[in-house]
Amino acid sequence: MDLNALNEVLKTVEKPARYTGGELNMRVKGPVMPDGTPRFRFALCFPDVYEIGMSHLGQRIVYNVLNERADTYCERVYAPWFDMEEALRKSGLPIYSLETKTPIGEFDMVGFSLLYEMCYTNVLTVLDLAGIPLLARDRGEEHPIILAGGPCVCNPEPIAEVMDLMVFGDGEEVMNELMDEYSRCRAQKLGKAETLLRLSHIPGIYVPSLYEAEYGEDGNFKSLKKKRPDAPDKVERRIVRDLDKAVYTGRLVVPYMSIVHDRVALEVFRGCTRGCHFCQAGFIYRPVREREVGTVVEQADASLDCTGYDEISVFSLSSGDYSHIHELVPIILDRYEKDRVSVSLPSLRIDSFLKDDLEKIQKVRKTGLTFAPEAGTQRLRDVINKGVTEEDLLRSVHDAFVAGWHGVKLYFMIGLPTETDEDILGIAELARKVSREFYSMPKELRGKGLRCTVSASTFVPKPFTPFQWEPQIEVSEVLRRQALLRSALKGIRGVEFSCHFSETSRLEAAFARGDRRLASVLVSAYRHGARLDSWDEHFKKDAWEAAFLENGLTCEQFANRRIALDEPLPWERMDALVTDRYLKREHERAYAAPVTHDCRKGCNGCFGARSQEFCGRKEEEA
Amino acid sequence: MLAVFTKGPEVRFVSHLDLQRLFQRAFRRAKLPLAYSQGFNPHPLVSFATALSVGMTSRGEYLDVTLTREMTPEEFISAVSAELPKGVEIVRAADMGESRKSLTSAMRSARYSSAVRFAEPVTKDALEAACRDLLSGEIVVMKKTKGGIKPTDIRPMVRELGVESADGASAVISLCGVLSAEGGLNPDMLLGELYKRLGVTASAETERVEIEMDMSGLTA
Repeated sequence: MDLNALNEVLKTVEKPARYTGGELNMRVKGPVMPDGTPRFRFALCFPDVYEIGMSHLGQRIVYNVLNERADTYCERVYAPWFDMEEALRKSGLPIYSLETKTPIGEFDMVGFSLLYEMCYTNVLTVLDLAGIPLLARDRGEEHPIILAGGPCVCNPEPIAEVMDLMVFGDGEEVMNELMDEYSRCRAQKLGKAETLLRLSHIPGIYVPSLYEAEYGEDGNFKSLKKKRPDAPDKVERRIVRDLDKAVYTGRLVVPYMSIVHDRVALEVFRGCTRGCHFCQAGFIYRPVREREVGTVVEQADASLDCTGYDEISVFSLSSGDYSHIHELVPIILDRYEKDRVSVSLPSLRIDSFLKDDLEKIQKVRKTGLTFAPEAGTQRLRDVINKGVTEEDLLRSVHDAFVAGWHGVKLYFMIGLPTETDEDILGIAELARKVSREFYSMPKELRGKGLRCTVSASTFVPKPFTPFQWEPQIEVSEVLRRQALLRSALKGIRGVEFSCHFSETSRLEAAFARGDRRLASVLVSAYRHGARLDSWDEHFKKDAWEAAFLENGLTCEQFANRRIALDEPLPWERMDALVTDRYLKREHERAYAAPVTHDCRKGCNGCFGARSQEFCGRKEEEA
Repeated sequence: MLAVFTKGPEVRFVSHLDLQRLFQRAFRRAKLPLAYSQGFNPHPLVSFATALSVGMTSRGEYLDVTLTREMTPEEFISAVSAELPKGVEIVRAADMGESRKSLTSAMRSARYSSAVRFAEPVTKDALEAACRDLLSGEIVVMKKTKGGIKPTDIRPMVRELGVESADGASAVISLCGVLSAEGGLNPDMLLGELYKRLGVTASAETERVEIEMDMSGLTA
């Protein structure tokens, strides 16, 4: 790598600290082990800009897991912003790792974290700038093994042709098994195809090239056929059973520039017991596994010590559901108060509101409060199994207002199954009640002016949820419902409205549920200039339209179609542990609308016959 | 505590704001007895003499941190040094007591050294002649001001401009210019004018060698 040339490039781009590395606690390792054997070089890539990628906890964990290995050196790479991509192309420099400035093409493995579908074009940008062919079938022995992990692996198909292998589930253990087996394959001097076959026998590893997709005459996905008899029938999602024993983030790399989550994240548990029907995370991280308070505090001590951060965030899918939350919050508040460390508690559910804890948090620093009722009427909240009531919400905001908050965010979704105009107007009604709650309080008891943001995203059906068969509503209908809500919210004191860009939601739905044919659409869109698609202001609608057209497909056929319950699904080879039978049962219950209780109150049988094995309890049918 | 620190090539692209955060975190890791501001979001009392342009390195930048209990400069340096990333190093520290004027108001001028690489060869004689020519009259550049981009004469800001060494393809140029609370000489701008007079394209790595301070009145 020509460092002088790189210097010149960095002088021309905005936020050059995105591309320099050298941060405190960055791992520094030589190219060889003490005995002289070369280390395996692993490039860990989060396919979005640095400040987003560095905020991702899972990637921090994998970075530490791999670097704990003596035989592996894991380095980081992020997607370049537009100016950097252009500057790299102009200068002829390849994309490189932050740690040693090694061109990505020289690594043994390049691993991508796939957190959202709209990052797929960024994967292609990185491969392209590394001079690596975009599709697996066009790559040879001289190219790195390209792999991916993260929640998008639930339906690996739309990006399957890009990947040599994919890792399904928690990475802590499987990454070590992967490197161990890879090491044996290398020692035996196996070629790539043989190596991939060997790796495919590790539970949780999916090698797309071992399967072939078939499509029906109706143009829909039909099956994913094994190309060899020894390819696994199913790829089982991996879970770490004991988080207290699992490797965590180690010495956290401390960024120079400010990043999105610029604080110590304390993961208190993984998984969620609620079972909101739209929420993929609620199903694909099951079962709930908690950390002991002692472990959490130990990790907090170590992380604060090695970073100098002055903020901690309690991290999980629903922090109020942590069994020991009332024990933990006072401990960390007291423990770090003298060091002026503030604590934030995101992802609080309305019904688990912690009035007392909130008052303590306020003593240190006031952070924003977000509530997610998701739907405007009780009927629809029951359909989606969001077991909260209007009273829950109003009580929570009341408590928050009393405690001195005057800014709250309310999250909703538009286009949920069975939604009618009445449900949309219900959102405005709820906002009105929140506003009234605030202004009916005596002036001396509340803050100055209410700032209530009503935010409406568009429902995206996701694999391994009871709504996986549901269509997304058409873009025109999304726009009509957004307009309806906007006008209904007009004139409500202290309430603002923001909504999500409908085009990206549709594309997200297509890539969430699509099949292998989307890889060519993805490549076409990339060639037409689609980049960083999750940044609405840079979304290139024309590029995507042209890409679908060129490949004889439509976005609608994947996003807006109702999939029959007995139809084969493109992700049929993936086993997320929750059973098909359970998802269908929940789908049925959604329409009948009896709320399914939280599984802490009794097993709902989501793992079927494997309950005992994965959740530690016997199946009890709901 | 007054501290003089370096900003090496490893951190040349760290912005001023990020550098402030870097020191705050390093001080926290070093468990210094930091004094905090009053108010809604208290922050440690750390101030810097001036910002350094992103991309530039420096051998001596100034910061001032308020502590709640006394430390010797040696204690301070040894506690903080262990916590600083590569490229940032405390070279001197001094306990300046409490009542004094700000670091910014003590700044007078700054000395720079630029390693220039020319796209086409330039002899040392030509370079020296161009420097003399530049210093002999007005140096009018287009400068961004509050009222828009305006032609400005930067000659009064330039104290010295000389050639340290030159070998045709590259050269080391030393500059000294005004640096005060009101502003200062932008070395890149001056170099840009030099390239113009020479009729060449070039790129430079500039290092701030030192900031000259009027230390009288800084102590209690």
